[in-house]
Amino acid sequence: MAPAALIDPALFDQLKTNIEQDTEIRKEIERLVDDLSQNVSYTQGLLSRIHSTPRAKYSTLLPQVEEGIRKEIESVAALGKFASGHPYFKYNYKWTRPMQDAISTVALCAWLGGLGTETKPGEVGRLLKLEEVGELFGVPVNLKDKDAFHITIEEYLLGLITIVDELSRLAMNSVTLGDNEMAVQISGFIKDLHAGFQVLNLKNDILRKRADSIKYSVKKVEDVVYDLSLRNLLPAKAEATKMEE
Amino acid sequence: MSGFKRDRQGNTKRHGDGPKATAKPAVRNAFTPMFEGLRDELDAHHDRRARLWKSSRDVTALSKKIIFSLQRVRNIENELPPNIQGEVDSRLAEVSQLLAVMAPEIQGINRYRYARSLDCLEELVEALTFYHYLKTQTLISHKALTPIVDDLVRQGVAASEDAVMESPEAPESAKESEALTIGLTDEDYLYGVFDLTGEMMRFATTSSALTGKLAGGDTEDGRNIVQDMHELGSFFEMLPYRGGPKSIWEKKLEVTRQSVQKVEKLGYDLKVRGSERPKGWIPDFNSTEQEAED
Repeated sequence: MAPAALIDPALFDQLKTNIEQDTEIRKEIERLVDDLSQNVSYTQGLLSRIHSTPRAKYSTLLPQVEEGIRKEIESVAALGKFASGHPYFKYNYKWTRPMQDAISTVALCAWLGGLGTETKPGEVGRLLKLEEVGELFGVPVNLKDKDAFHITIEEYLLGLITIVDELSRLAMNSVTLGDNEMAVQISGFIKDLHAGFQVLNLKNDILRKRADSIKYSVKKVEDVVYDLSLRNLLPAKAEATKMEE
Repeated sequence: MSGFKRDRQGNTKRHGDGPKATAKPAVRNAFTPMFEGLRDELDAHHDRRARLWKSSRDVTALSKKIIFSLQRVRNIENELPPNIQGEVDSRLAEVSQLLAVMAPEIQGINRYRYARSLDCLEELVEALTFYHYLKTQTLISHKALTPIVDDLVRQGVAASEDAVMESPEAPESAKESEALTIGLTDEDYLYGVFDLTGEMMRFATTSSALTGKLAGGDTEDGRNIVQDMHELGSFFEMLPYRGGPKSIWEKKLEVTRQSVQKVEKLGYDLKVRGSERPKGWIPDFNSTEQEAED
């Protein structure tokens, strides 16, 4: 005949325990992500000073930014250590935004000439590759064969789009600060990056939406360069390449 | 001389002579190789998701058909009517083949990566728990259900190997199939059981309308489906709220509450008016509906 109970009490206890554990994990991740977010937004704040700092003074600004990045790296290490004990994509949504922002601070700092190493001295215009970003944070990238904390391709690309936006602003402000060459350099970089994004087959997702914004940055910087060329304000070197085109 | 395009001067236009075709080489720069690498990775990801999505839709459709078949059962008993059992078995065989194709794509880290493309598992849990309930009048546990689903994968792999014996890939997949698992998550299980309450409500309604008594409770002290629904209702009310999208949990809980109330109304009606109805009396509209259904 029918067993005495519909539901085995052990089933309820098991599910209840699982749910409680899951809640604990989420809380701990939230704490670690808060930590990361604070360090990221501090570093972003420091980086916002580039719009009012002439290039000659980068040498004092960038070390401060690098200090902020060191704190980010510590936060990422703590988060990575905890998160690696759990299915990565189950909780990934909790840290993907601050992680993208952290990547963008690193990429921007490197572009401005920071984060140089002995083998690769920092120089303006350097694009950090996904692997280099991973090395810097001390975490793997695009992990496929193992379920652990890593940086995804999407996070890297979204981080790059953020710096495109920031650089298009810098193009204008550097002209205000009298550094016309910077605007020309940014223009070349953004155009190349734009061409790079056009290589991707994007689906109708957040990456596509954000990548679509790059063209406005391209135009914004083009306009700045155009203004400069009209008034014969382009630096000599850029003038030469402009003529070739 | 026909068959050639000519320019304004009447000279034959040869291929490559006219304005350049659109196939001009893509602009390449220092970043192009890097983006090409990333593109290939992203393409692989999107393609896999699309494949899973497609199979998932098919598994969902099959699971729903299994549930429809099971809704033609009238009593809770160990042996299902042979025709219904046959339908369920053949549909499960189809499901197992689809799962065998999906399983290799959702191993390890990919299990949660594509979790949102695997809605079918919830539906499959609903079908399997309902099947189990109709046969045993118990709720199968998550732990007991996981090997059943993984077994379906193994059967599907075996079936596809039989079909393509000569395929050079066969030995390789045989090796892999040992470790293949769908890894039913707590979410799949719980959301599936939430939906089970709806099926139980439907079953209680039809079976009591057609047989004039509540399903289950054949003996004096046996449980009937009203008690079962109450137990399931309390089960979900007592569970702490599960993380993730809260609205789904709350919506499903609300639907469960309604189902519980529908079945308890049924129990009341049968208790009060049931005695007035001759045993075995079947309303006419139901019997014609029944024929049409069959």
